[in-house]
Amino acid sequence: MTNPTPLFDDAFTDFPLKRALAQVLKQRDAGARVVGAYCSYAPVEVIWAMGGVPAVLCAFSNASIPKAEETLPVNLCPLIKSSYGFIELKTCPFFEVTDAVVGETTCDGKKKMFELISEKRPLHVLDLPQCPTNEGAVDYWRHSINGFKKFLEEKFGTVIDEEAIEEAIKHTNRKNALVEQILGFGAHRPAVITWQEMYDVTSYAMVTGGSEAISKLEEIVAKLTERRDKGIHTSAAGAKRVLVTGCPVGGDVLKVLKLVDEEGAAIVGLDSCTGLKAFAGRIEEGTGDPLRAIATRYLKIPCACMTPNTGRMEVLDEQVDLLKPDLVIDLVLQSCHTFNVEAVKVESLVRGELGTNYLKIVTDFSSQDIGQLKTRIGAALEMC
Amino acid sequence: MDGETLEVSERVRAATSIDLAAQLKELKDTYHWDALTSTGYGRFLSQKILGGGVTTEIKAYATSAHHFHRDINTVIDLGGQDTKVLSLDRKSGQLIKFEMNDKCSAGTGKFFEMMAATLGLSLEELVAAALKGERAFEINSTCTVFAESEVISLLTSGKSVEDIARAVHESLLVKLVSLLSRILNAETHSILFVGGGARNSTLVKFLADALAREVIVPEHPDFFGAYGAALVARTNLNQLP
Repeated sequence: MTNPTPLFDDAFTDFPLKRALAQVLKQRDAGARVVGAYCSYAPVEVIWAMGGVPAVLCAFSNASIPKAEETLPVNLCPLIKSSYGFIELKTCPFFEVTDAVVGETTCDGKKKMFELISEKRPLHVLDLPQCPTNEGAVDYWRHSINGFKKFLEEKFGTVIDEEAIEEAIKHTNRKNALVEQILGFGAHRPAVITWQEMYDVTSYAMVTGGSEAISKLEEIVAKLTERRDKGIHTSAAGAKRVLVTGCPVGGDVLKVLKLVDEEGAAIVGLDSCTGLKAFAGRIEEGTGDPLRAIATRYLKIPCACMTPNTGRMEVLDEQVDLLKPDLVIDLVLQSCHTFNVEAVKVESLVRGELGTNYLKIVTDFSSQDIGQLKTRIGAALEMC
Repeated sequence: MDGETLEVSERVRAATSIDLAAQLKELKDTYHWDALTSTGYGRFLSQKILGGGVTTEIKAYATSAHHFHRDINTVIDLGGQDTKVLSLDRKSGQLIKFEMNDKCSAGTGKFFEMMAATLGLSLEELVAAALKGERAFEINSTCTVFAESEVISLLTSGKSVEDIARAVHESLLVKLVSLLSRILNAETHSILFVGGGARNSTLVKFLADALAREVIVPEHPDFFGAYGAALVARTNLNQLP
């Protein structure tokens, strides 16, 4: 097997978050305001339109959890504990460079955590309607996004005009199309892209704007096309294929993805907020009401905090059809009730309707369950 | 296991040791084989020392269940570390689904060991006492550590050791039945119970009563996974060019 050309030829091989941080710092040095965000629902077009840059604050490290547990309950989502612990320790490089922070009312743990950090940074929490198909939901969400825009304008003494938002929308659409195209290379058999590379791409794209992002992503598409055409593969010919869905993944919870690697299988899709979810879908351009166009698109993000969340089932159906996985792993972070309960419907869809093997894993950022996870994942792959 | 007749020729058991590697090396020096598959939590260490292949205990149990009990579609493995329930296709023996306890020892054989120690009994004495006990109260804690303090407070409140032993069994039974309910179906007439926990005759009786189904325990339930691994090894041997 020829070694594939790296997608990012830089000093950050295997360190996607360091690369993302470097991107944020580069823009900050050029005068951009840094706005920290916790979630795919953060309407980043408003930040880009201000000439700012978003920084993703969700943390995935077990290291900061003991600090968080001095204050927060132990029986809480590890992502919230980890993020909070870093803020308390002042060791989250992303949080430390933020000028303001935006939160959304997605899950209960996060929204109460925002109250605890509100003294540390100028903070704006957007009220996210959780019945996205109900009448008035889009109007209300547009109203929330407008509130966020006003917050930024007041905080930074600027005016964010509609034309700039419209430009940011166009840019998002180009960027999302490219990221979706890149993740779509997972469909090739054998695989021509690894999950580490997918994670590299999404981490980079979240925090990179303008022509820089577009030209880099186009370069990556070209590299992947070359791999495909030359038959340069990233996994063995008969490797079993895995699609990972569920909660966001990163850092210490990548243990699950690494265990899949150890079993000789290939992850061909990441269908979560750190994968496809933030980049699927487009914002309608030239509507004359760019905030409403943004609101419409963001409410379609298929997060388990929404009810009903039919979009998740539609996306999974499409992803299984495109990527043809042998196994779908539904990764639920401990105490994430919405994803945990929604797993019932996901299992029924994947196993029952799509006829694909399914494994649900509930885990946290610690290494205490590695032995058991290895058995579970090993057995689920043996079944394929 | 004899590769042609599939008769079990010898069973070897060793106590759990901190120096598993030394135990494995001893096996290597004592025995010889044409094909070998390691299973269980130590399967990768075993493979490193003894060679051969590896399989998860889940596949091993499914394989031996189908080989020795053709009509079975449901298997419970109650081990020291974890508890698993397996659903098999009766015709093909294919594993359809499995469920495992959460990362907690409360639903496993370890729970009995710890509760016996708390009551000052051997495992055998705990099992015998439970059979004599009445179903007088419940142990509510779902955590082994908390259950231990609950047992101590029951003891200090003057409850009989027999009734407490019974409650300890009932507590694990509830978890087992809950895990099983995820895979049981109308076609399940009997359940194969394997792993070290199946040597607990009182638990086997309670389980059969609770499920109103036949519970089958093979002669050496704690070797059942090893038989499965041997069967997997034999299949791989046959596939060699």
